[in-house]
Amino acid sequence: MAELWSLIILNPVLNVLIALSSILSNSFGLAIIALTIVVRLILAPLTLRQINSTKAMQTMQPKIQELQKKYGKNQQKLQQEMMKVYKEAGVNPLGCIWPMLVQFPIWIALYQSIMRALATTPESLLDLSYHLYSWQVVSQAFPLSSHSLGLDLGASGNIILAILVGGTMWVQQKMTTAPSVDPKQQSMNSMMQLMMPLMFGLFVLMFPGGLGLFWAVSTVIGIAVQYFLGGGWGYFNPRSLVPGPKEASTQRRARR
Amino acid sequence: MPGGGQPAQGWSGVVSQEGMIYVGSMKGEVVAVNSSTRNLEWSYALPIQSSSSIMSCGRTSAPAPIYGTPAVDGDLVYIGSYNGKVLALSSSARSQGLPFPQARSGEWLYSGTEEVIGGIVASPVVDEDAIYVTSSDGRVYSLNRDFGDLNWKSDILGEKLWTLPVIESDTIYVSTFDGYIYALSTETGKKLPWSFKAEVGFVSSPVLYKDIIFVGSFDNNLYAIKIGDDKALWKFPASRWFWAALVVKDGVVYAGCLDGKIYAITGETGEELWEFDTGSPIVSSPVLVDDLLVVAAESGNVFVINSKTGDKERVRNPGTTSERTIDAPVRASLCAHEGMVYIHAQDDRLYVVDINERKVHESFPLTIK
Repeated sequence: MAELWSLIILNPVLNVLIALSSILSNSFGLAIIALTIVVRLILAPLTLRQINSTKAMQTMQPKIQELQKKYGKNQQKLQQEMMKVYKEAGVNPLGCIWPMLVQFPIWIALYQSIMRALATTPESLLDLSYHLYSWQVVSQAFPLSSHSLGLDLGASGNIILAILVGGTMWVQQKMTTAPSVDPKQQSMNSMMQLMMPLMFGLFVLMFPGGLGLFWAVSTVIGIAVQYFLGGGWGYFNPRSLVPGPKEASTQRRARR
Repeated sequence: MPGGGQPAQGWSGVVSQEGMIYVGSMKGEVVAVNSSTRNLEWSYALPIQSSSSIMSCGRTSAPAPIYGTPAVDGDLVYIGSYNGKVLALSSSARSQGLPFPQARSGEWLYSGTEEVIGGIVASPVVDEDAIYVTSSDGRVYSLNRDFGDLNWKSDILGEKLWTLPVIESDTIYVSTFDGYIYALSTETGKKLPWSFKAEVGFVSSPVLYKDIIFVGSFDNNLYAIKIGDDKALWKFPASRWFWAALVVKDGVVYAGCLDGKIYAITGETGEELWEFDTGSPIVSSPVLVDDLLVVAAESGNVFVINSKTGDKERVRNPGTTSERTIDAPVRASLCAHEGMVYIHAQDDRLYVVDINERKVHESFPLTIK
């Protein structure tokens, strides 16, 4: 199974990453950014399906909220009614999950490729040699330098990357998570919106900077795609981060 | 895993001198074994490596991995560790269990607290009054042999130096991952006028034979470079890297490759004499005993090959039911002594191969009972 995984997914991704590094002036950082963009482009049809599915779900939110108000105490009835509404609209509530699941193996391969390519120990370098193609462009990439774009992509604990990943992930979560009328559900959503970015921020501190760069670029692309194809900021209101004139005067009055 | 990829565990080779066998264990210890009685005479744990991270509260400690083969000179054993320490250990002081370092016995530790150097992967090289080590910080260090003081450190020659330097009269030759062969003065560590630059990096340690340097590269070629020339004398292609250190005798280069083959190549012309496929990558450096070449594949299979004809025979192991000679990966360099070849496998056992019998004579763990 592990050999099949390496043959079909890991080795192609790893070799393309190293070849890109060779092409892009031996900059491993630029190679990570380029590969993230390439993978995002390849997965664009799936992302589009996911966005369309999410949009369809969003348009149905008023109806769903009505149902939640009406059948909030009877969960079984609520589920039945919700499924009925989804069916009538021709929407599969799992439609936005499947494309995401299909993308997972690619993300895992990217993650493994970055970890392997950095090869900071003799064991890692030896292991890396078993995964390489005999392409000249790959041979010429060695040695891969972990220092790129002003970052040490082989070292963990980059606080700036951690904030960047956590912050962008929080924005992306805000854009796509619909508010719920059910206070319990809403509190769970709020918790998730905070926990996920925090968790990934901590991952960035634990893992090599290369992985953090990949997450940051991937999330920024995700936000851009969501903005342009999903119709603006979605459920996230960037103005809410900056107090508007009305809010500011209210705050001033409150202080007095 | 922080740092990326697999953790550093080490694969120290074996050296034999004056009835003793010395090796670095996977637990970060230098172990001395009596080659006649097989008694474990002493072991000494190298200074542990400690690290701290944002995620861990405080510091964590781990044994210092050892990749190089110890260098021995009389009573003293020199070793470098992956946490950037070089030690001179006195065999007599260690067998008495005295506190380290016993300066009167010639023991020392470099570096102390004042200077931190990068991890050491290659073996230390002893020459006249100095010990030379290459480091992951990209420098070559020359240390005083008696006291361990720093004689000099070279400029940064590459992002990291994991290869063994070669010394010929007053010159040190070093190969780098970014494709240079540098010649340095043993006196000052300064670069000498000649250097060689290849289009790709060098992965193996250089080996010098007469005035030709043999070295493996990242483009799966074995290079022969005449000192003073700016073009390679010849290149020998394979399908993987030449990782293991090469063996040269009577003008023939014996090169183990990660493609699983051992090649016998004429040093002057690069012409192949014979090749043998072991079926698994060759990571450890082979050893020559008279006309017999002993090769261990990473899978654990060991072969005895007639270096003239290429005729081969697999070494048997009566002590195991496994199809392989050794039931563990082999990455450390081999060592021959009095008709026996010593192999340190990744299960941290020492295997003793009787070359004439073509079988594993015995094996034992590197642990003091």
